[in-house]
Formats: sequence, structure tokens, C-alpha cells
Amino acid sequence: MALDPRDFPVEEHHLANGLSIRLLPDRGLPIATLYSFFRVGSRNERPGITGISHLFEHMMFNGSRKYGPKEFDRKLEAAGGSSNAYTSNDLTVYYEDFASEALSLVLDLEADRMASLTIDDTSLSREREVVKEERRFRTDNDLDGMMDEALSALSFLAHPYRWPVVGWMSDLNRITRADCEQYFRTYYAPNNCTVVLAGDFEPARALREIERLYGAIPSGAPLPEVPTGEPPQKGERRAQVQFPAQTKAILAGFRAPAGSHADSLALDLIETALSSGEGARLKRALVYEQELCVDAHAYFGWRIDPGLFDVALKLNPGVELARAEAALWAELARLVAEPLPEADLRRAKNLVKAQLLRGLTTANGRAHTIGQMELMLGSWRAMLDLADRYEAVAATDVQRVAAATFAPHRRNIVTLVPGEQPELDPADLEKVVGDAPGLKGGGP
Amino acid sequence: MKDVALPPLLVEPGPDGLTVAAIQKRGVPLFHVRLSLPAGAACDPRGKAGLAQFTADLLRRGTQRRDAHGVDAMIEGMGAQLSVDVSLDECALGLTVPAELSAAAVDALLEVALLPSFPEAEVTQTRRRALAALQADLDDPGTVAARAAIAVGYGEDHPYGHPASGFRRDVETFTREDAAAFHADRFRKRGALLSVAGRDDPAQLLRFAQDRLSAQGQAWPRAAAKDLPLPGPAAHHAQMRAIVVHKPDATQAQVRIVSPGISRQDPRWAAAVVANTALGGGFTSVLVDAIRVDRGLSYSVSSRLAMGRHAGLSVFSSFTKNETLRELVDLALEKMRAYRGTGPGPDALAKTRTYLAGLFPFGLEAHESIAENVSDCILDGLGLSHLATYRSRIASVSEDAAREAAFALSPGREGAQIVVVGDAEVARKALAGLCPIEIRPLE
Repeated sequence: MALDPRDFPVEEHHLANGLSIRLLPDRGLPIATLYSFFRVGSRNERPGITGISHLFEHMMFNGSRKYGPKEFDRKLEAAGGSSNAYTSNDLTVYYEDFASEALSLVLDLEADRMASLTIDDTSLSREREVVKEERRFRTDNDLDGMMDEALSALSFLAHPYRWPVVGWMSDLNRITRADCEQYFRTYYAPNNCTVVLAGDFEPARALREIERLYGAIPSGAPLPEVPTGEPPQKGERRAQVQFPAQTKAILAGFRAPAGSHADSLALDLIETALSSGEGARLKRALVYEQELCVDAHAYFGWRIDPGLFDVALKLNPGVELARAEAALWAELARLVAEPLPEADLRRAKNLVKAQLLRGLTTANGRAHTIGQMELMLGSWRAMLDLADRYEAVAATDVQRVAAATFAPHRRNIVTLVPGEQPELDPADLEKVVGDAPGLKGGGP
Repeated sequence: MKDVALPPLLVEPGPDGLTVAAIQKRGVPLFHVRLSLPAGAACDPRGKAGLAQFTADLLRRGTQRRDAHGVDAMIEGMGAQLSVDVSLDECALGLTVPAELSAAAVDALLEVALLPSFPEAEVTQTRRRALAALQADLDDPGTVAARAAIAVGYGEDHPYGHPASGFRRDVETFTREDAAAFHADRFRKRGALLSVAGRDDPAQLLRFAQDRLSAQGQAWPRAAAKDLPLPGPAAHHAQMRAIVVHKPDATQAQVRIVSPGISRQDPRWAAAVVANTALGGGFTSVLVDAIRVDRGLSYSVSSRLAMGRHAGLSVFSSFTKNETLRELVDLALEKMRAYRGTGPGPDALAKTRTYLAGLFPFGLEAHESIAENVSDCILDGLGLSHLATYRSRIASVSEDAAREAAFALSPGREGAQIVVVGDAEVARKALAGLCPIEIRPLE
């Protein structure tokens, strides 16, 4: 079921300054979407400035040489468009959905901020507070966010995937304007960007506009190397989150290959077999048959470097953590012990392929998919035969990849235990220190 | 901007009250089927809040032809996931599949919707799941705030005045007989709409849908159930009041400010949408500018018209750290009160009209969204012109009409109800002197 390239007449262009351009016209509705993918995310940060990629995503809306503060969205909305952005471990991605007649303006807005972003202390102070609110919302007051942050810190010792994309609160308070200016010079050059335009436009005219607006922006220096030397995991790791909550929860993470690795397709199918739809194995066993969980969910997201395969369980009231954990390990062990039955594999393949198709029904979806394929797999063309490559994954492949991934010594487990956060009593600390040999003064 | 031509489509009302809509969608070879039924949360019997959702959840847990695993295998084997959406007014089921599976998809959807068997064991288990999910929802401050805002905004006796997932005290009482009776009563042809979207031309699609209905739809009860009284407007409160739901250890407070709004059928609809968008939609609205952009008080700020078929709410939503709760509430009320007097000025009006008109076609792109939009405007009694003339109606909203709508529909007008989910002691101190405060436990 390969996609027909004639249905996706993507034009590929490169400017002399390194900007990559992908154009996919579709004259059906008078709308278009422009994506700008920058190959920078929390992976490119260092301790002390964690969260700067995401903070910078916010700063990109605060004015540039031609379009001053607040002008980016004012101009865009007044022309019939809207904007948004997201930051991941690996990428920072901006997009605009707009009425097709606003194309020239949208390109001008994007090119102007790439060429001449304004970074001042006032906007940095304000945006820092907004991001801290986002952190309080998504992490400090959100159980899933708390557990996810704990899992990353537990699973990675050396790799930058260790810290959260939103950054540690103390680092958000510390990031300076100079840090931001350095970040912009380093990572927001055209040679680190892919723009993807999909929708109602005339390709030759759009390309001329892009060349005119982006062509004079200078290339940046080669990007700094990312320290990716994560040591092998030598045993199970555990962490606990204690917080007032209604129910217990488990988040387990297993070290998994990079998105570009051939085995990532088998992991996509395992994710789907375990938790997509009500008939998925994990849901059927843990939610319906054993009634241990309100919800059971698996997630494998493609990353540039080896990442994680996650499984999250939200337990039913009264269910003990150990019982739910044992049931989870048993389900994963089944994947290792016996090949996925043909019906389960067929179901997973059909679900994954249908999801791929559904993602291509909108201009935004097409542009995003093309960009993702470029950044993660090296070429948009990877989407054309992706369905065939899923089809080629055999039950034995699934079993082999499951065995390599779900080994007990590779798992990292975060448990949520409902309860007040313990407060440190200095007397208790004194007692602990006093009892520990060699920790209190006095010498031998 | 010119009005947007809708894709080729046919709508055929049947003599028995069932409407069929067929929409041609070229491009990606997918097929979508959607069945909307007059079985929304507003139909929940008194003392049975959540029964519509409970019944909908049970549809896939066994039919007269197969058990729950068989239903899952039938649907998910096609690469599809069944969407089940219980809103205020309706229950909508949807399936999207590769085009070659269109007949199987329609048959599966009709089987699930019309032939549920409500096995006793599945009823018991679904009730336990619903109760566990309600308890888990208490861990999400945004969900707690949304549930409280509905009850406070409409009033607890209003048909729209409870969340679709219901209340624990009611869900505990649900039986097989409750679900079966609700299904027999509400899953009827009159007021239902079947829509299909695919690559074929609309006449072919319409014939196809009608053929499938003939083959699979005999079980559909013909008897018309008794109509329910139409919901009236949302509750009016004479005095501002704050309801604080206590969530221990929260370092951030969720805030909703709620007032009566309008229904989707209201003649002021276009002016109301424009006025509300200029107030708190998009990224350059009055509220986003004041609260997020100028002061950095919150990550998310919005005002929204939550519209049912017969009534609605105007809702301000945001959140902020405990230390700035009062600052956020004061600023939101100040801006909303000032906007009541002025409405959007000429520049903001022009910007908002173009913004809405420019983005409108994005709602016609995906199979699911065009089917939902067509279905809604027919069932709401607005007709396809509601979509076909969207841009020109938005463009014709005058400054006076927008100002009148801003005055009449601001979430922050007299009698607004403030909902805060957060640490009760923090909120009590922060809101002292603003209005009467009622503290409620998290439940």
C-alpha cells in the first residue's frame, strides 16, 4: 500500500545559505500551512540553561527588525492566519495556518524573525514568567508531568534527554539575554532549518518569494556536537513520586533505539498492539480482564538519539502497585516468549497505516509529516513506502525487538504514591547523619 | 474574502425522521461514517446524570451478534478506532477506514449503535470503570474546574447543568435496565443523522448509505419516544460569587468566570462569535494581550462561547500561580467590564473578521470535520447555508452589532460566577473582599 508519488508532488529546493525547502501544492481549499523545523531541542542544551530551547520558542514571537513587539501575531491574524509552535527533545517547530492570499506576509514574518530577532530584557523577563506558569501547569501540578520528568532523570545519566524540555525551574530563573543571543546565533541559522509549505499556492511563485526573503540571511557556523555518550544500563532503576492524588500510578521506561533505526518500526507496532484501541493487549488484560487500571498506555516516540519506550498505568482505587507491576511485566514477557499472533499483528499494521493516512488529509498534517520525515528519517520520501515497511515487519521481528527492549535490567520505574509531600525535619536529618558511619566529624 | 464552496454533497431527509448526508472528499483514499443521535447528556433522567455517556460506553461492550472482544476485533481489525462523543445534545459515533472498507465500516457502526446487548457482566464492569475514572479525574485541576463551571453556570437543575460523565452518586445506581431503557428511548430515527464522506460522487455515496441502512437498519425502533422539554437559558445569578474547590498542595490555581451565553441557534451568533474572539480568542485578543503578553501572569488565557443547541455559557478560563491569583481575577474582570462598554474598535473588528474568515476552511478539510460540521448545522436547524455563507456573515458583522454582543455576553458581567480550583486557604485570602466565597471539597 505504498503512497502514489503522483499524489504527493513534493518539490525539493536548497538555498545557497543551507535552507532546505519542501513545497507540496494542493489547490482544493483556499488555505495553506507553513512549517519551519529547526534541528534544536532540549538535546542541545546543557545544565544551567535547561529549558532554553522552549523559552526561546516563546521569544520568537516578541518582535524583529521589521515587525516589532506584538506585530507577528497581529499581522498574521489580521490577514486570516494563526500561529503556534512546539519544542521537543530534538526539534523546535513553528507553524502558521492561513488563508492562501496571506502567503507573502507569512513568509516575510518568518524570514524577518530568522534574520533579525529582537531579544531584550523586558520581553525575556515577561516570557520567563509565562514559561514558569507553563511548567507549573504541565509538570508541577500535573501527575503525568511529574512522573515523566522523574522518568527522564532516572533513565538517562549522561545524555541531555535527562532533563525536561520545559527546563528546571532554577535554570529558567537563571537564563540570561546573552544565553538567548548565543542560542539564536548558533541554532537559528538557515542551514539548521527546513521550511515546508503545503496547500493552495503556485510553487514557482512561492519559491521566488522564499529565495527573495530568505536568500540573504547568512549561514551559521557548524553546530556544536551533542554529548550523547550514555553508558549502558546495568540494572533496574526505581524512583518514587509522592503527591496528594486519588490513585496510584506506574510509569515504566525502557531504553529504545533512535527513530531512524530499523527496529523503530517494530516498536511502533508493539506500541499499537499494546495500547491502541480498546482491544489492545495491555488494555484488554489490565483494564478489562484483571481490572487493575483505569487506563493503560504505551508510547514510543521517534527521537534523534536512542530514547525510551514508555508504559503508563493509572491504577484502580485499592489496587496495589506490586500487583499491577507484576501484571505489566507478564504482558511484556508474553511479547518476548511467543510471537505476536497473526491477528494481533495484522490489527497493529492496519491501525498504524490508517493513522499514517489520516495524518495526510489536511495541509497541516501533510506539511508536518513531510518535515518529520525529513528531520527524523532524512527524506520526505520515507513516507511513501512507510506503510510497506510496516507491512514487512514479521512476528519474529517483533519478538526479537521486544526481547531486546523489555529485558528487566533495562527498565526504569517511577511509581506515584498518593500522600502529602514529606517535609524534611532537621532533627531527622541530624539523626540520619549521626547514625551514618564516617559522615560526622571526629576522624578515625 | 469570498465564501468557500462546500464540497459536492447531498442531504436527504427521510420520512421517518432520519437524515442522510453524503459528502464527496477527494484526495487521500479514506472513508468516514458518522451517526448522530438525539441522546446527549441533556437527556439524562433526573437522578441519573451520566447515563447517556454510560449507555454510549456500553455500546461496544457486546452486541446481539458478538461479544466485546468480537466488537473490538471487527472495528480495530479495519485499522479504525470508534469515536464515541457524548455532548450536551447528542451522542455521535464515528469510524474512519481505508476506502475499500466502507461497507464494513457502515455495517459495524450500525451494529454497535442499534444492536447492543448490554451484557450484565459488562454493565457491572463499566460502572466500576466509570467510578474509577471519575475518581481519577479529581487529579486533573482543569477537569475539576470544567465540571464545576458547567454546574455553576447552567444551574444544577438545568438539563445542561451536569458533566456528561455524571456524578458518582448517580453512576453508582446505574443498572442494565437503565442503559437498555435509555437506548430504546433515545437511539431512534427521528432526530438522527447518518453522514458519510468518501471519494465517490454524492449520489453514489447516498445510494450506498441507504443500501447499507436497508440491509442493517431493520432493528431500528420506529416508534417515536416522547420528546423531552427543550432546555431553557442558563441560570441567572443576581450576585457575583466565588466557588473554591479545595485541592491540597496546588501551587497554581485554575480560574473560570462564567455567565449565561447563547445557543447555536441564536440570531446574534455571528456577532457573538466575532465579539468573543476579539475579547479572548486567538493570540492578539484583549485578554491574552493583557494577562499573558503584557503581564506574564498565565500561559493560557481565553474566553469562549460554550454553545449547546438550546442554551450556552460565556466562559473565561485561565490559571496562575497562587501568589498572583487575585491579580489575575482583578485584571480579567477589569478588562471584561471595560470591553462590555466598548466592544471591539474598528481595527480589532476588521482583524477578527478576517482572522475567522481566513481560518474557516480548515474546518472543511478532514473527513471527520466536514461530516461533523454538516451534521451539526442540519441538526441545529441552521441548514447548509450556515457553512456556505460563513465568511459573508462574519464579514457583515457591524461595529454596533459586535458592541451589543460584547455588552450582552461578557463572561465578567454582573452576577458572574467565579470557579477556582486550588488551595482553599490561598484562594480564600486572595479573593477576600471581592465577593462571597464558598469552599467545597474535592469530590
